[in-house]
Amino acid sequence: MQHSKRFGRTLALGLGLVLALVSGCQRSEAPPPATAPAEIPVPVPFAVKGVSLGSSIGADKRVASPISVFAKSDTIYASVATEGTSPSVTLAARWTYQGDQLVSESSQTIAPTGPAVTEFHIAKPDGWPAGSYRVEISANGAVAGSQEFSVAE
Amino acid sequence: MAGDKPKPDFSNVKSGSSSTAPPPAKPEPKTYTVVAGDSLSKIAKKLYGDANKWKRIFEANRDLIKNPDLIKPGQTLKIPDA
Repeated sequence: MQHSKRFGRTLALGLGLVLALVSGCQRSEAPPPATAPAEIPVPVPFAVKGVSLGSSIGADKRVASPISVFAKSDTIYASVATEGTSPSVTLAARWTYQGDQLVSESSQTIAPTGPAVTEFHIAKPDGWPAGSYRVEISANGAVAGSQEFSVAE
Repeated sequence: MAGDKPKPDFSNVKSGSSSTAPPPAKPEPKTYTVVAGDSLSKIAKKLYGDANKWKRIFEANRDLIKNPDLIKPGQTLKIPDA
């Protein structure tokens, strides 16, 4: 009788040991959680996003209130918003009157590393002649945007 | 033709610009470290292909070289563009 009791206890212990071992193996075989590969940022190519005109700009070089009709005594600002990166890009503004007469030309070379704003402005001490004007913005010689405006009588 | 309006004068227009983006970085000037046996003409021959351009190197390094015939190993010379 004692032998059969001992045998039963030994069998139970053995079975328990085996079960513990199996569940441990199963736990150790579980695959590690997948981690997403790190994303490498892709450089954004440089581009002119827009041109707006106004008679004043803020500290951020942006025109707060775009207008297209100016007074004779106004300083006229063209605010050029760009995006993207470039080691060197030359933005130029060409202002013309009544379609063909050159008013002024100027340029600014920049090395943007993200969104940026560049402003160009013109002023005439004795006042602007009334009529229609145009400003054309180019980037490295290629026309990138333009705006038409007028000066009131 | 008579009666044509004269074109306005824009010669007194003042213009300007500014940007939130920085200007392009200025390229670092090229340099050359003198080794034993060097002379300005040898360096000019090596770097410009023309020994006669030694004066260009001399002028760019007036603060370092008092006598163009006396350069020392270890001196770092500014090398202007050809």
